[in-house]
Amino acid sequence: MLRNVFLKSLWEQRRSLLWWALGLAALTLLTVLFYPSFRDAPEFNDFLGDEDSLVRAFVGDVSDLTSPEGFLNSQLYFLMVPLLFLVFAIARGSGAIAGEEERGTLDLLLSNPLSRSQVLLHKFAAMVVAILALALIMWLSAVIGVIVVDMDISFMRMAEATLSAALLGILFGAVALTLGGATGKRATSIGVASAVSVATYFLNALTPVVDAFEPLSKLSPFYYYIDADPLTNGLNLLHAAVLVGLTLLLLPVALFTFERRDLAV
Amino acid sequence: MGVDTISDNQAVIQTHDLTKYYGPVRGLERLNLEVRRGEVFGFLGPNGAGKTTTIRLLLDFIRPTGGTASVLGLDPRRHSREVRRRVDYLPGDMVLYDKMTGSQLLSYLAHLRGGVDWEFVGELVERLQCNLSQPIRSLSRGNRQKIGLVQAFMKRPEIIIMDEPTSGLDPLIQQEFYGMVEEVRADGRTVFMSSHNMPEVERVCDRVGIIRQGELITVEDVHALKERALHQLEFHFAAPVPEEAFSTLPGVRDVTVEDAVLRCTVIGKPDALIKAVARFEVLKLISHEPNLEDIFLSYYSEGGEHAA
Repeated sequence: MLRNVFLKSLWEQRRSLLWWALGLAALTLLTVLFYPSFRDAPEFNDFLGDEDSLVRAFVGDVSDLTSPEGFLNSQLYFLMVPLLFLVFAIARGSGAIAGEEERGTLDLLLSNPLSRSQVLLHKFAAMVVAILALALIMWLSAVIGVIVVDMDISFMRMAEATLSAALLGILFGAVALTLGGATGKRATSIGVASAVSVATYFLNALTPVVDAFEPLSKLSPFYYYIDADPLTNGLNLLHAAVLVGLTLLLLPVALFTFERRDLAV
Repeated sequence: MGVDTISDNQAVIQTHDLTKYYGPVRGLERLNLEVRRGEVFGFLGPNGAGKTTTIRLLLDFIRPTGGTASVLGLDPRRHSREVRRRVDYLPGDMVLYDKMTGSQLLSYLAHLRGGVDWEFVGELVERLQCNLSQPIRSLSRGNRQKIGLVQAFMKRPEIIIMDEPTSGLDPLIQQEFYGMVEEVRADGRTVFMSSHNMPEVERVCDRVGIIRQGELITVEDVHALKERALHQLEFHFAAPVPEEAFSTLPGVRDVTVEDAVLRCTVIGKPDALIKAVARFEVLKLISHEPNLEDIFLSYYSEGGEHAA
């Protein structure tokens, strides 16, 4: 497992990855197991309130909380899943370069025949794989729950919605990685990436509430994650391509800024 | 890439007016340095003198404000991988991956470097008495430093660059380390090490560069350095002695006599002083190793006539 920077990065987070997987699986499963009590209680829909109720900023623009799609979107996919993926991704991304630099191990790592770009790309790849692994676990756990409560929903659509969330996580992980690589400061990276994610979340989520946000919501990565409702309609390839494309645009920025600066001792 | 155009006795490390400022703060000022193949070069200076800055410039962790450096004839920035393939490094504040055990760390670094001779690594581990089975965070500073030394020596690189290699080592292990350095020299490979310890540098190095406040003061053969070495001596006599007996001796300075105690500074050979002292009954002799500041002062006070 210690053959290269990529494998070593996964190896060293094996324990935390296990805990994340357990936590995410448990949360997903428990949420899905609640479905029967929603299904039989249409009065839950009263919580939604009007079309422009603030509640919609946290559950999405849904019409029926008791349908399988409405339930999973509002309880899992709109807020919870992206939130958890983002927390994980931002922690990993910010730590990838800046964490190593702040601990003081980057000098030792770079005294090996590796370029800075190689180190960054290996760390990025490890982050992507970790996020996809968590997405897989989350999906499996949701599938188990759906089978248990006999929910009428496509496993494939669930996979597509989960993948969309993973792509969003990877994008914000790349933001954090770029910031950490450019500044060498983990706190800066976490702070800025978190602020951007909260701001862009509300930019998209408040669209049903605040009309003025309507044209701006397309500036939010969350729009490309969920607006096309991948759980109902399948992955919107164009929207997914925007998420992937933004990530791929960030990489050269990360490589360039990390390559040209002085590393801290 | 990777063409070795350097023949014997040529510089394997060369800097030309190498300068580094951290914002307005001077790290290094116009350093001109040449380290030759097969020598052990000591870089001597107090903390903050610019030793670590120089080393980190050579390995492309930081970029110069001005001037150039070449390592094995290569530009450290443009050929960073090639330089790092042929140079190994012991960082100053030995920070290792502290969740790994020593053997996991060595295995990781060996993979990154494309494999090592594990038999040789085993010998190094044995000589330095490394503990490889415990997580590194549970080891003392000295025990971490030993693992750091193993990784710097294990690939048998053309150049080993070490920042304060003996800090935290106990004296027996230091001796073993000196032996390892001598073997590298016998192999025709090069060692570039920083230190703030004069006796250590005298012990292992062929040439010494002395740096202070970012400026190289001099580069000397270690023999020349020893000749100019300062020793602070203190003699306790059985009876009071006259100050005139010592104050005019060649190579003796700062003479003070209080009753039966003589204190003075000797530069180079202590021969004249010993002969003068021998006329009296000596009860006790105390010798202080000179500190670096005294050595620097000796260079400054002579107007740089010894500058190489």
